[in-house]
Amino acid sequence: MIHIENLVKRYGSLIALDHLNLDIEEGEIFGLLGPNGSGKTTAIGCLLALLKYDKGQITVFGKEMHPDSYNIKKNIGVVMQNIAVFEQMSVWENIDYFCGLYIKDKAKRKELVEEAIRFTNLEDYRKIRPKKLSGGLLRRLNIACGIVHKPKLIILDEPTVAVDPQSRNKILEGILELNKQGSTIIYTSHYMEEVEQICSRIAIIDHGRVLATGTKEELKNMIKTGETITIEAIAADDALLAGLHALPHVFDITYEEQVLKIRLSSARHNLVRILNFLTERDVSFGRVFSELPTLNDVFLEITGKELRD
Amino acid sequence: MTVFKGFLTLTKRNLGMMFLYIAIFLTISIFVQKALGSSNANGFEPERLDIAVIDRDRGTLAKGFTNYLGMFHNIKEMPDDKSVLQDRLFYRDIYYVVTIPDNFEKKCLENNEKLPVTKVPGSTSSYYVDQQINSFFNSMRTMTTGGFSVSEALEHIETYASVSPKVTLIDKTGHSGNMAEHAFMFQYMPYIILSILCYVLSYIMLSFGNADIKKRILCSCISSRSMNLQLILGHITIGLGIWIICIIMPVTLYRETFLTDPNMPYYLINSFLMMLVSLSIAFFISSFPLREEIINGIVNVITLGMSFTCGVFVSMDILGKEVKALAHFLPVYWYEIVNGLLAENSSLSSAQTIELWQGYGIQALFAIAFLAAAMVLRRTRTMAAQ
Repeated sequence: MIHIENLVKRYGSLIALDHLNLDIEEGEIFGLLGPNGSGKTTAIGCLLALLKYDKGQITVFGKEMHPDSYNIKKNIGVVMQNIAVFEQMSVWENIDYFCGLYIKDKAKRKELVEEAIRFTNLEDYRKIRPKKLSGGLLRRLNIACGIVHKPKLIILDEPTVAVDPQSRNKILEGILELNKQGSTIIYTSHYMEEVEQICSRIAIIDHGRVLATGTKEELKNMIKTGETITIEAIAADDALLAGLHALPHVFDITYEEQVLKIRLSSARHNLVRILNFLTERDVSFGRVFSELPTLNDVFLEITGKELRD
Repeated sequence: MTVFKGFLTLTKRNLGMMFLYIAIFLTISIFVQKALGSSNANGFEPERLDIAVIDRDRGTLAKGFTNYLGMFHNIKEMPDDKSVLQDRLFYRDIYYVVTIPDNFEKKCLENNEKLPVTKVPGSTSSYYVDQQINSFFNSMRTMTTGGFSVSEALEHIETYASVSPKVTLIDKTGHSGNMAEHAFMFQYMPYIILSILCYVLSYIMLSFGNADIKKRILCSCISSRSMNLQLILGHITIGLGIWIICIIMPVTLYRETFLTDPNMPYYLINSFLMMLVSLSIAFFISSFPLREEIINGIVNVITLGMSFTCGVFVSMDILGKEVKALAHFLPVYWYEIVNGLLAENSSLSSAQTIELWQGYGIQALFAIAFLAAAMVLRRTRTMAAQ
């Protein structure tokens, strides 16, 4: 459905996109995961022909994308990172206005506006102006304006920034529902939990390059970490740390402020082996956690830095 | 036409502000018109003053002279008491006191002695009486020297004095010399047109110029050309709407005088050009990335600044030379020049017609200049955003 090949975008001497390659299939919820400033929004801007790019090729629905590709654009819905609604129009007027940019038939438009209002649970706020809406409701209005014309492809650029957890869950449920209804979704975020929760395929992006692409399982399998064990309130000396490091499947240990983090490759009974080792040496400790690898671990292993840095 | 309809929806939200400005405009223009435009100069009528004549001579010449003054002024009976006369003069019960001395004929007619008079110091009306007294004595001397007796000379002087000249005032304005009532309204019109268009359009364009809304519109299947054309159509519709409201006001308030004014089409063209200039200025202002809070200040500086320096609120006659020189570089000045021409002349000479079209032309050039500057600014910003 979307093919991006060797995309290069420069802002003066800064390279925002560095030979970016992406392929997105129909029916996917495709996640673009990367820290702030990694090039996600620039990539979306180029994809929508809002930004001129220096090199590369973008095809959407099998056709090359240009600023005047209106036949392509009519099948795309966009929900930008920032709220893009008219302050002086009511909720209904805003949704109707943005629907009118795609749908000329008044009766059909009315039907679609009502549907979008129901979908985003804004029924009680039809006549309210955006100024009087809470942050979560505003985000829902922003989404309603982007999806009202029932596009085949929906691009959501960090739609949950500064949203409370309850509204965030509603938004994520809505995105899954849109996908069920047949829309392909591109979802950009720096919240790995969200991307893990809803995306069928993910591209990890940093410094304008795609570092890895695949399902979350595929991405996790790409890395060495199979399990991370965290032990709190432990007093560890160098000998103890060396002993732990010598255990099978342990490949990385960090010890800071009495918190011990042990990374291990995927294997059976990793936790039991570690605990036995500590018990045999009479080492006291507090709480113990065992976590499966996250996308943050993937990002950390690939880039050497945390996703939230 | 979604963008255009959205434009109109946003305009509706600003109707309250528009009506507020119209109300202020109407109040100011009607108030000033009532205060300044009601000077009664329908014809000429000689002034009659209250004067006193103290006759100490009581001779033929003195009586004739008193009768002569009585033909022009109201002679009040006063006692021959200096302090009483001074009091009356002080309280403006009388404006002039003529004292006819004993042996009046010999002293004043033959020996050319000065007639004792007391008058309100510096009053213009007293010069009027002085002139009549001089005229009387000149005529008397001429006639008595020519062989007429005093009685015959007095008779002739009275006859001539009783003839009133017919005075006809030239009515340059076509409104009995006064400025037409609707001319006041047109004088204040730039303020209302500029204020409403700059405020309303800046606020509307602030929304359409919002980078995120703009992106969302550009992502849709509407071309940027179509969007710009619809925005231009929106500007023109609002501009025309405001202009029509401004024209309806003088038509409603001064129906006959305005509709029969031979300069009416010129007033309409002038205000239409002012509307175009205001649209351009509004478009220019909205080309800057302004915040909502500062629009108010900027629009006030522009509209009030131009109104005060270009003769909208203050007559151009009392503006300083430097202010006028500066005003030449502002479009409202040329509007007011044309408005002044139309207000002061019911029919224009060929030189005035040239001046009129020059004013129109300069306003049109201002409109084009602001529009071009706005387009360059917008283009630069778009290029920078990409």
